Amino acid sequence: MITKGKEIPTYEELEVQDVALSSPFLKAGALHMGKQCEAENNEFMLCRMEEKDPRKCINEGKVVTSCAMKFFQVVKRNCAQEFYNFAMCLDRGSQDMSYDFCRKTQTIFDDCMKEKAGIERPGYGYFCEPRIHETKRPQPMPEPPPVYPDALVEPPSDDIPRQPSKYQGRPIFF
Amino acid sequence: MSGTTVKQDLPPPGGYKPINYLRVPAKTYFSGVQMFVLFNVITFGAIYIWSYSAERMRKLRTEDRSARLALQPMLFAEKDRLYLKRMRSLRDEEEELMKGVPGWVVGTYWGEPIYHTRPENEWHDITPTEYLAHSPHYKQQYMVNFYKWL
Repeated sequence: MITKGKEIPTYEELEVQDVALSSPFLKAGALHMGKQCEAENNEFMLCRMEEKDPRKCINEGKVVTSCAMKFFQVVKRNCAQEFYNFAMCLDRGSQDMSYDFCRKTQTIFDDCMKEKAGIERPGYGYFCEPRIHETKRPQPMPEPPPVYPDALVEPPSDDIPRQPSKYQGRPIFF
Repeated sequence: MSGTTVKQDLPPPGGYKPINYLRVPAKTYFSGVQMFVLFNVITFGAIYIWSYSAERMRKLRTEDRSARLALQPMLFAEKDRLYLKRMRSLRDEEEELMKGVPGWVVGTYWGEPIYHTRPENEWHDITPTEYLAHSPHYKQQYMVNFYKWL
């Protein structure tokens, strides 16, 4: 359970307007959004993987959400109808919302985004490629080994004089 | 006894027919070379078709994965905020529930914490049972059985 000594941010600190879109719309805009918010996303995911603590990546997460909100506002201003058609095609085209059955509407949406918003669709499999992210956030250091005050004293091992063996050593492998 | 006539079993007139000992082979539709060619055509033709569609499906899966990875940070950010809100509300709920009980310390069992040697502010996840501690039972059932809807 959660003790009183554990710092948890208040509701006000966590209150952000979330992207209120359903999955076909998110999937329709995913690739453009990922390209547009690439730096923010990578920063957040790096923070999350390194810190392993959701409390320390709240601000990065808010930046990610606001970037996504901004992107979808741009889409709504410029290519609302094309975006809607593409998302509806994804929703009704197949069970797993495959892009394969919606190439026509996707092309129309991509062209619209390129012309009006100036956002180009990233290449095939762009987000599956590993790439290096530059960040200013310091890397968290691993925890130092524990020091116990009542630990036993290590026996002296190095200062014992050791003689070279009188006879030949025993062979190891046979 | 004496009136009975005995009929000797004898071969038919002209003798028995010759015994048919020759092989009667089954009717052959293809020769060996033809069967070999047919086998190879079907096998390698199927392998070609299979690999073509497997490659195509692999490409589609990669594209889908790309979209999912692009969305993941946004969804994780939302999820983390909801999780922290939930943890705070759970703690508040426990405090409200146990405020009349003397000796109860919030987040511990009568003052006994889960981890004795770790710092109190260190992060650790809560278990699903703790997550749904103050929820109705059907919520827990829904969470446990959710995979059956997938």
